[in-house]
Amino acid sequence: MSIEITETLGPDDLTSLSPTADAAERYRRRVRESLETGWRFAGLHVSPGAGSVRTLLASPFGATHLAGVALAAGCVPSIVDLAPAANWDEREAHDLFGIGFTGHLPLRPLADHDDRVDPIDGAAWTVPVTGTDAYQVAVGPIHAGVIESGHFRFHLVGDRILHLDARLFYKHRGLELAAVGAQLEQGTGYAARACAACAVTNSVAYAHAAEQALGLVPTAELARVRTVLLELERLWNHLNDIAAVCAGVGLAAGNNRFAAFTDRARRVNAAVGGHRFGFGTVRVGGSDLGLGRGQVAAVRADLGELRQEVTTSWRELLFNASFAERLPGVGTLSADQARQLGTVGPAARAAGLAQDVRSISPRLAYTGFEPVVPERALGDVQARFEQRALELWQTFDLLDALLDRPLVPAAGEPGGSARQIGVGRVESPRGATSCVVERDGSRIARMRLRTGSYANWPSVAAAAPGNLLPDFPLINKSFELCYSCADR
Amino acid sequence: MFTLLRDLRRLRRDIGLIRPDRGRSLAIRHVDAGSCNGCDHELTLTSSPAYDLQHLGLGIVASPRHADVLLVTGAITTRMQGPLLTAYAAMPQPRLVAALGDCALGIGLLGDPTEVVGPLDAVLGVDLRIPGCPPTPDTIAAALLTLIDNPPAVIPQR
Ligand code: SF4
Repeated sequence: MSIEITETLGPDDLTSLSPTADAAERYRRRVRESLETGWRFAGLHVSPGAGSVRTLLASPFGATHLAGVALAAGCVPSIVDLAPAANWDEREAHDLFGIGFTGHLPLRPLADHDDRVDPIDGAAWTVPVTGTDAYQVAVGPIHAGVIESGHFRFHLVGDRILHLDARLFYKHRGLELAAVGAQLEQGTGYAARACAACAVTNSVAYAHAAEQALGLVPTAELARVRTVLLELERLWNHLNDIAAVCAGVGLAAGNNRFAAFTDRARRVNAAVGGHRFGFGTVRVGGSDLGLGRGQVAAVRADLGELRQEVTTSWRELLFNASFAERLPGVGTLSADQARQLGTVGPAARAAGLAQDVRSISPRLAYTGFEPVVPERALGDVQARFEQRALELWQTFDLLDALLDRPLVPAAGEPGGSARQIGVGRVESPRGATSCVVERDGSRIARMRLRTGSYANWPSVAAAAPGNLLPDFPLINKSFELCYSCADR
Repeated sequence: MFTLLRDLRRLRRDIGLIRPDRGRSLAIRHVDAGSCNGCDHELTLTSSPAYDLQHLGLGIVASPRHADVLLVTGAITTRMQGPLLTAYAAMPQPRLVAALGDCALGIGLLGDPTEVVGPLDAVLGVDLRIPGCPPTPDTIAAALLTLIDNPPAVIPQR
């Protein structure tokens, strides 16, 4: 089956921004109709000057659309009733830009760490939970180990989780604001350093957005180089995530084995792009990366060897009954929940939703790519664990096919008309990452990065209730989300 | 399981880490004060077979209460300044502070001035500086070992 992939941006919604009741209704209708016809919410950002809000919608076939609405008396209508996935985006826009969202009630603080406490409902940022024997456990922002900073508030009865509120943004560096006014070319630096684990994805998503705005499309060679870098990033991440699940149940041998693989995969990243996390490997409009015949062959051989060893060790993990029995039925996120919450990436696929931006990425070299879903797609820790392995084999296959010839410096070429706004969507190791760039000539007027981790944090909270508190680290590690790319 | 353990043993042999017995140890408490997670990811690997800091007497501990070293990654965000200082205050004396990575050292810091307090030495005195973006696990391991091999004056000498 061949799918025709279009990249469209509805210019009408962007230019007819007048603060009338009619415009507000049009905005909500546009969002509703899109969602009803299979499009998904993919992000919401505040336009430069903070006079309007723009919602990014993505079709299952790769098209994107921005629906905009102007502020009236500091407010825009909320769409959280139509798209629950917009929950964090609206709360963030409120906390960082002071925008009101009519109909979003209660609009709980997210990025705002003001500790307002209501005498009855408790802290304003948590969901009030009351009942006989219900109590709270506060964890973080500093955790016991080498873990990013963030706070979890568990509501419990005994050891069982009733509800979880996650408070992130401890690591908020204001990267997107800091990027305003920078040259478009410099944006990849901000995108990469939002998060090392997704540095390549974030910078490719940014580069795609900037290039779309500039009226550029990648040549086949540029697409290939970037796809290699993206898959190498997925490679070390998935190995790391398997190690993390082993650590989550205290299986030191598995953790150590896969940590060693992770290290080795990062060395391969360094051999190809010159940096273990791919910092500086992606630039707007082209690529300077060159890898000769001998080097490519060596990398390919190294990956072949790594694949064999990973396969053996993976089988060993599955044969370990005391380990394997810890995974099923823990931290379940149903397909319905995943659909509702807009879950993306391996977590969504492990729940049975066969969606992957790679299958709709005309700017990258993923022709014929099909998402993989585990046979036992139950959305629990086990399914997410197995999902990583399934995707690893895909990644090894892709890399083997892509690295069949030297990598040479490449550039973008004119394609499509230049415009003020560009959008990039890329599948990170954690799921669909969207980047919107609004430009002012050659400078950044606004950039917003909505990463797979950002999209999935509410799913972690949704997978927790009903489980035992001591299982939460395992549940959390089975998602293995970044805090840094959510916080930015 | 047997195969896993055998592979790990082989891996250790191939890597051939030299482990002079230093007869000393340091407990490290890591705090991420606003990193991009790169320094943290590399720090995690210092416990993996190829670097194996525990075998050299350097362990990452869960609580600042029994830590000798506060190891900080990232720029200090306004929201992490408080928790960072709380962790420092909870440590017994003598204690050391180490800055891991360029952000913590204030090199090429990115961020909005209202959200970032600055590098680590804007809030705490720094005893050990480990530059790099991020420094590789062996750089981190080597730098931390200098704390054992050439302890700063605040640590009582044997
Ligand atoms: S120094 Fe580099 S790797 Fe470390 S936190 Fe800063 S940006 Fe990330």
